[in-house]
Amino acid sequence: MFNPERRTQFLLVIVGLLVVVPTNAEVQYNRDVRPVLSDRCFQCHGPDSGKRKAGLRLDVASDAYANLAAPDEAPRRAIVPGEPQQSELLKRVYSHDPDKLMPPPESKIALTEPQKQILHQWIAEGAEYQPHWSFIPLKPVAVPKELAADAWCRNDVDRLVLAKLRETPGLNPAPEASREVLVRRLYFDLTGLPPTPEEVDRFLNEKSPLAYEELVEELLKSPRYGERMATDWLDVARYADSYGYQVDRDRTVWRWRDWVINAFNNNKPYDQFITEQLAGDLLPNPTDEQVLATTFNRLHQQKVEGGSVPEEFRVEYVADRTHTFGTAFLGLTLECSRCHDHKFDPVTQKEYYQLTAFFANIDEAGLYSYFTDSIPTPVLAIRNGAAKEKAAALEAAVAGEERALEQIKTEQRDAFEQWKQALTADEPVVEGELARFEFEDATNGHLANLAREDQPAKTPAANVLIEGRPGRGNAIQLTGDDAVTLPVGNFPRHQPFSVSLWMWAPDKVEREVVFHRSRAWTDSASRGYELLIEDGRLSGALIHYWPGNALRVQATDELPLQQWVHVTFAWDGSSRAEGLTLYVDGRPAQVEIVRDNLYKNITGSGGDNITIGERFRDRGFKGGRIDDFRVFDRELTALEVAQLYQPKPVPSIAKADDRLAYDYYLAKHNEPYRAQLAKLQEARKARNQDQDSVEEIMAMREKAGAPFAYVLQRGHYEGRSEKVGAATPAFLPPMSPGAPGNRLGLAQWLTDRSNPLTARVTVNRYWQMLFGRGLVGTTEDFGSQGELPVFKNLLDWLALNFIDSGWDTKELLRTIVTSSTYRQQSFVPGEIMTSDPENRLLARGPRYRLPAEMIRDNALAASGLLVEQMGGPPVKPYDVAESFTPSSPDSGDKLYRRSVYTYWKMSGAAPVMIALDAAKRDVCTVRRERTSSPLQSLVLLNDPQMTEAGRKLAENCMKKHGDKIDATIDEMFLRLTSKRPDARQVAVLRCLYSEQLAYFTANPASAEQFLKTGESPRDQSLAVPELAATAVLAKALLNYDECVTKR
Amino acid sequence: MNSRALCTGYQPIFGMSRRQALSTFGMGLGGLALNGMLGREALASRSGGEVGGLLGAPHFAPKAKRVIYLFMSGGPSQMDTFDPKPMLNKMHGQELPDEVRKGQRLTGMSGNQASLPLAGSPFQFSKHGQSGLEFSDILPYTAKIADDLCVVRSMYTEAINHGPAVTFMQTGSQIPGRPSIGAWLTYGLGSMNENLPSFVVLLTKGKGGQPLQSRLWGSGFLPSEYQGVRFRSGKDPVLYLTNPDGIDSTSRRAMLDRLRELHELQFADTPDAAIESRISQYEMAYRMQASVPDVTDMADEPDYVFDSYGKDARNPGTYAANCLLARRLAERGVQFIQLYHPGWDQHGGLKGGITTQCRETDQASAALVSDLKQRGMLEDTLVVWGGEFGRTNYSQGKLDGDNFGRDHHPRCFSTWMAGGGVKAGTAYGETDPFGYNISRDGVHVHDLHATMMHLLGIDHERLTFRFQGRRFRLTDVHGEVVKGILA
Repeated sequence: MFNPERRTQFLLVIVGLLVVVPTNAEVQYNRDVRPVLSDRCFQCHGPDSGKRKAGLRLDVASDAYANLAAPDEAPRRAIVPGEPQQSELLKRVYSHDPDKLMPPPESKIALTEPQKQILHQWIAEGAEYQPHWSFIPLKPVAVPKELAADAWCRNDVDRLVLAKLRETPGLNPAPEASREVLVRRLYFDLTGLPPTPEEVDRFLNEKSPLAYEELVEELLKSPRYGERMATDWLDVARYADSYGYQVDRDRTVWRWRDWVINAFNNNKPYDQFITEQLAGDLLPNPTDEQVLATTFNRLHQQKVEGGSVPEEFRVEYVADRTHTFGTAFLGLTLECSRCHDHKFDPVTQKEYYQLTAFFANIDEAGLYSYFTDSIPTPVLAIRNGAAKEKAAALEAAVAGEERALEQIKTEQRDAFEQWKQALTADEPVVEGELARFEFEDATNGHLANLAREDQPAKTPAANVLIEGRPGRGNAIQLTGDDAVTLPVGNFPRHQPFSVSLWMWAPDKVEREVVFHRSRAWTDSASRGYELLIEDGRLSGALIHYWPGNALRVQATDELPLQQWVHVTFAWDGSSRAEGLTLYVDGRPAQVEIVRDNLYKNITGSGGDNITIGERFRDRGFKGGRIDDFRVFDRELTALEVAQLYQPKPVPSIAKADDRLAYDYYLAKHNEPYRAQLAKLQEARKARNQDQDSVEEIMAMREKAGAPFAYVLQRGHYEGRSEKVGAATPAFLPPMSPGAPGNRLGLAQWLTDRSNPLTARVTVNRYWQMLFGRGLVGTTEDFGSQGELPVFKNLLDWLALNFIDSGWDTKELLRTIVTSSTYRQQSFVPGEIMTSDPENRLLARGPRYRLPAEMIRDNALAASGLLVEQMGGPPVKPYDVAESFTPSSPDSGDKLYRRSVYTYWKMSGAAPVMIALDAAKRDVCTVRRERTSSPLQSLVLLNDPQMTEAGRKLAENCMKKHGDKIDATIDEMFLRLTSKRPDARQVAVLRCLYSEQLAYFTANPASAEQFLKTGESPRDQSLAVPELAATAVLAKALLNYDECVTKR
Repeated sequence: MNSRALCTGYQPIFGMSRRQALSTFGMGLGGLALNGMLGREALASRSGGEVGGLLGAPHFAPKAKRVIYLFMSGGPSQMDTFDPKPMLNKMHGQELPDEVRKGQRLTGMSGNQASLPLAGSPFQFSKHGQSGLEFSDILPYTAKIADDLCVVRSMYTEAINHGPAVTFMQTGSQIPGRPSIGAWLTYGLGSMNENLPSFVVLLTKGKGGQPLQSRLWGSGFLPSEYQGVRFRSGKDPVLYLTNPDGIDSTSRRAMLDRLRELHELQFADTPDAAIESRISQYEMAYRMQASVPDVTDMADEPDYVFDSYGKDARNPGTYAANCLLARRLAERGVQFIQLYHPGWDQHGGLKGGITTQCRETDQASAALVSDLKQRGMLEDTLVVWGGEFGRTNYSQGKLDGDNFGRDHHPRCFSTWMAGGGVKAGTAYGETDPFGYNISRDGVHVHDLHATMMHLLGIDHERLTFRFQGRRFRLTDVHGEVVKGILA
């Protein structure tokens, strides 16, 4: 993120400030050379083997020194250490021949003269390479001993800072900030809220030498701390209350946000914090909370737009998880290696896909369901203790009834024999028929239902009636685009049912829908049940949400083509795959269980009855023929199915297989069995109702089998090439040999102290949170193109201490905020403000406009409107009505909650927050931009939230101080800036008040109108013009720099 | 109210005189631009000091100074508007030949159809103007400006669904997160009016159709001041532009004067550039409160102007009113004006649907070009009309006479341009007789972007921004300026 030209100049500034530079100071590879090579040369001569030109690689010493000439030519080396004249690189860089000049003129990235000189000097000095600093393992940092007793230094942070400052004569730390400034700084940094006037005074009056440290402890213990810390983490996790992309429907994921707040408040060690989010589901006997943490991986945008290709977006989701992992934890721009090897860092394209494999191994769909509100699988069911007990009891009841049924089955042989002896009627008789269609003729598109005359099926004329099985009259031939719709079929999953038909398939296909009960295919995640032909084989399924909440069995044998086959789809109501039997020509087909994980309803979403031959945006049964289609409201027994296939002369029961006859007898004639079956169904119904109603949240659940992914050419989902397993990049330390090869192993690798990046990246982000800028300014990029830290020792010291403290986040913050470095004044007169505008040298304290959330929360807190309720569903303040995708604001308390709870719509997030530079959260964001524009002024001036807050603050002050305007000014100033106004400020504000009072006295109706802003009623006991003028006074202070800027 | 009269005891002790302050803080005198002014500070903190994207001067002499982009969201059908295909009428109802489709992918909406019947346009085409460009009869007004237009019939894209395709057209990438074309140009060109944003977005109100997202005119990884400012059709064209009820401009002015005094006091104690910037930010906000209504209130337009744009032009938020507003913005120095008109997604009922779309847009689009021409602005204003992709030559779903729909088609579609250095009265590129593939001179989305930038004097390969370790540009690593359409 750093223009090398500027960088060089800037480094010269810094070098000028920090080191006594001997003329011709030695050039260092990491500091001086790599930025030039990386930015201007690696594009074609770097890690990306695919784009490498002329076989030359400049990021690895041995390659750069190698002979490039053919064997019969004179040796030619890009770099000859110590020999600038012989180094081809320099010849090219200084060449005047446009055909030879490097970088080539058409690349439009020419080298500047100082850059050329750096390369020249480096080669002259021996062209020594250094490993990239952030990839080198952490080593203990020597803290300067001579500063052990230095009066300014409170801890080692200060010693490492001061040692660096001392390298430059005349550069000194700034004096400590005033106590008013410190108390405000601390409150915002650790709780995101301002101190109350009482809290300010308490701190100012506290005589204890440890007052500051005690305040730090108090604030770290405040529940507000977790909310403040979570706000930043929501950016990292791309948290939103909607799915994003184009349709952007709402999703319910706030329980994960509350998990984050609690985790911070409980000071969950950071290694556990990230392990649980990455892989909580893979921990031994994970708690629900640990699984809930993994929602982190599912917070990327999700797609529902009609006609989209599911695989395209599944690939996108996996990519997003991987990029988030890279940005948030490793500070690596992994996304650069999605289409080719990384241009700047040693990550190959293959390694990229090996990393994605960790995140690909869940049973998910690439699209969420348009026609239902099902939660995309995999999910965690949200059940508290009592609900869990209830669910377990209901499950036990089902198991009990199932056992009882099995028991009865063993006890009724005698009754069966007696029944057989006494048999007089014709058996078997197939009962329970709800519908039957023989497709003999179609009148006005109606097909006769032989079971219920008043309920015909319907078909467009395009489906034609043609001769069916020999001697069996007509059948229907389907176009694949025209549906035959039946009047029946809306079965809940506890209800046994059967469908039988004759079918004739013209050819082998990848996929065709024979019949189904559902609204759509991917647009409803296939909710319902269906009989398909997949890869030429019959495939039956009951589905709540494909693929993660469904069962499917698929025949192992291919369906015979161009001949009539009798098929029965028989369901027992169990919610288990073994409960679905596919019969082919009267016999159960051999099947393979594809999925066996159905735990929610299969009804709903529309398309309530059976449809034959066609489905919305799916492939129909083109050219297929159907005859004798029947629907039953019970699970047919094998004997009955055989009878449907080949009606035998009755009575045939005596000749039937005894086992089949017994099953038939139980189902049809044995009262104890039938009564128990009814009880079982009731138990299943009760269990299913409980399951159907349980709330769910997206989470991670590892699929069986080792994770894998395909290398995708150009990153395109259709460009599958090599299949790869899960692995970490080779340039970083390996995973430990015994580690599981899944996300848990990845998390262990990430949090192992040998990993050079995780702790550095993390402490840098927290430094950034407190100072407004990381020690590495490119918080998201610790790679070759990232910024080289001035205070690398300090970064490493913090990182190592962080690990040694047991990844104790509060301890890390405590260490930083109790340092003298943090406590410096943020403004110092002199050139340093302009020569070091970003405060890279840390010779003063942090100073920047507060983040969006703090600006709003500050107004709410100072005015007394803030509702400090924690957690729960997101809330909608006034400004969501002005969003690009507007929502209705909430009312009452919900208008005044902290901004961390504000409803976040990805396609149009709270516009006030966005205007104030909140991250959009469509991707992982570890650094917000800070801009300043008139649009922000308009927001602070005219947002009803701000206007109302100003009025409330005015009311509170007036109630307390009556018409003593100076007292009101004093208190308002204190509430909004944590300090008392001086005489000059009071004069200005008094003037403001009297002007506004004159205005409102002259315009009483305007005053009334102005005081109506916001939902909360105005205090009727207060004089209107005075209140209005005081409210404008408050409003002005809400726009005052000292109110909105951290100083 | 005379605020000065009330308070006499206080004089600013800040070392700078009011006159100096006014000139420094750009009270109508300085050269500070709304978008440009704070960009540098933000850029500096963002990219570690790099402000290279902001061009002091264009890369070469620009033909156009501004762009009005009429974005037709949903994917207008090319063979029913600008690209006549009599072959389809001849073969109406016959299957799309495999040798035409060549196995290229279809969307999930028609991709599983058992049959793909060709569908001829239900509209008549005729030649217009000296150029003889052909238009269908649902574009009578556009036909009248035939000699001003350059119709590109050979546009193509890579995306097949709205989300990715609109994102691609507007940002040069299918995946959300990149800066929009308007943001890039604003980043490159800076601002010409300190009281108005450089990049303004206008949406037709009350249209259904595919949803649009604010990120389509967002700044992506560029600083947020380069994002488009959407003017709303309601009370506040800009978020919270209007004072709260009961506060008029005298009250506000008085309050801002005192606020500035507070800031001046603060600056005297701690002369920090950020405080100066805050002061000018508030002054500019105040000026915008006047300048934005000045441009959006069109009461000063004569009747004949409204009449030329059509009767909708009097109804704020309609496409016609937005076209007229676009002209007013262009006159005031706004450089990138992006209109969105949704509803071109005729999956079914194409005949009625596209007729309505044309009725809503045809007259005003043509009037805009004519109006600019009349005012001498067309020569340095580039007007672009087009959608994110085209539509299939076959019917989506059942073909029932001339009642049918068309699915998305990325492999060819039409876009027109006018003014700003493009060759007028020409058709560029050709599609095959089936209107399925391009047969000559294809123009990729990146090529369109490169050409637009070229017309504005920007080398698309040199306008870059560093993000996540690499230089990004609107055209990624692609894009060729289409020389054949340059005047």
